[in-house]
Amino acid sequence: MHSIKYVYALLLSLCILGQASAQKGEISPSRKQAIDSLALEKVRDLSKYISIIGNKKTPFSEAQRVMDRAEELFAPDSEMGVSSLNRKEVNYYKVRKYFERLMALNYDRVSIEWYDIHYISDLERQPDGRYVGVVTIYQRFEGESDDGLKYKDTTKKDITIYVERKKTQIQGRTIEFWDVMLGDIRVTETSA
Amino acid sequence: MIYVRAAIFFTWVLGLATTMSVQAQLVSDMDDESRLYAETKQVNQFFRRFNGEEDDKGDRYDPKDRQYQSVKLRKKYLGMLFDAGNAGIKSDLKAQFGKDVLEGANPVILDFHGGNWFAEVHTTFLYNNKAQTMILFLKLEKDHLGTKWVIDRVHADMFDPYFKRDTTKVGKFLHPLSHELDFMNLRKAFQNSDSVSQFAGKRFVADHLSVFLYEIKKGNLKFKTVDEVKFHFFQIPGWYFELSEFNRPGNNNGWLISNLVSLKSESERNILRKYLYYETK
Repeated sequence: MHSIKYVYALLLSLCILGQASAQKGEISPSRKQAIDSLALEKVRDLSKYISIIGNKKTPFSEAQRVMDRAEELFAPDSEMGVSSLNRKEVNYYKVRKYFERLMALNYDRVSIEWYDIHYISDLERQPDGRYVGVVTIYQRFEGESDDGLKYKDTTKKDITIYVERKKTQIQGRTIEFWDVMLGDIRVTETSA
Repeated sequence: MIYVRAAIFFTWVLGLATTMSVQAQLVSDMDDESRLYAETKQVNQFFRRFNGEEDDKGDRYDPKDRQYQSVKLRKKYLGMLFDAGNAGIKSDLKAQFGKDVLEGANPVILDFHGGNWFAEVHTTFLYNNKAQTMILFLKLEKDHLGTKWVIDRVHADMFDPYFKRDTTKVGKFLHPLSHELDFMNLRKAFQNSDSVSQFAGKRFVADHLSVFLYEIKKGNLKFKTVDEVKFHFFQIPGWYFELSEFNRPGNNNGWLISNLVSLKSESERNILRKYLYYETK
């Protein structure tokens, strides 16, 4: 998984080399598309990890390993802000805590599916020079207990993405590339 | 040459990885899907739909594309950017708005960095363990290499009683020769905390933001949650509109225009601004 991510970053860096706009830390429209793809790839990874963590058939040790991988997608201090249709108040969880709560849900069977719909915002530059964007995706959750209790919801997840120019040394050469990290996520229940 | 080869290899790996990674199960419910496509999912999407800068699926148009900001596309989107459940926004007002925005010599485009729009955020704080609503007004501000949202103003009903005073009555005052006695009568002025605001000038306006920051620094005010977010736009000449988020069944969902006002003069604009900021003066 790490090597795949590295390849993405490297590919981007190769595309970026020599671009005048990159010298100033600015993102050209074509580069923005490549970054969108990278961001979406990270979001898809997260979706996949959430499905595995929530799946009751996933062994405990495997779930822990996947949580570690999932956590690596995020910038430090990232939080999930969760509200529901009945409870407007936003509850804030650290990412790890959110995964642990998901794993501990009291259902015997859980199904987590994703709509094939996403929305990617424009990238805006922050005071520190990093770029920030938001990717929106939708998840359908279904939980069922052996005693017949069923629960289902559809949630909208607005995921912060941070885009930053980084440098790495490969065979003595300094390669610059755009890296994407996930940040805070706002989770809202929808009426769908 | 080595870069070209590497790029070809990495492109192949990229394709492979993409195929591998789409393992998460996908929902296939057409009704839900069409609702989610129709929803204006982000404020960013409101801007892009209003300006006609993306296709039906939310993918950005290249600025060179014929469709980009085309009047036809903008007309199509504008109709679905209003809260259809609000009968208060009359259709002839919407039509006039559409005409002004789309059909003038210079069609009006919303600009994220163009100023003249701000956020109103209703929050709950705990003040000495009691829940209190604090309304924060935020605006975008340039800073160093980019921009950030900053708290421009605050309004809290709980602060109002501290600054209330009746300026129609004579009330208490420091007489005009107090200076000759080194203002020794200040002692009496500050004896009763209830009447202390009477000694402030006529034009004094309480600044809730300062009080808000002070109370947080003192540890008396603790953030609990965000209750509601909406936006106020004064960016279109002659118009004001409010943008709110709707989460309900059906296709008329997400970030939509929830109020629209035609502004005939600068003074109307100022009155409305003051009203939105809870200003009484």
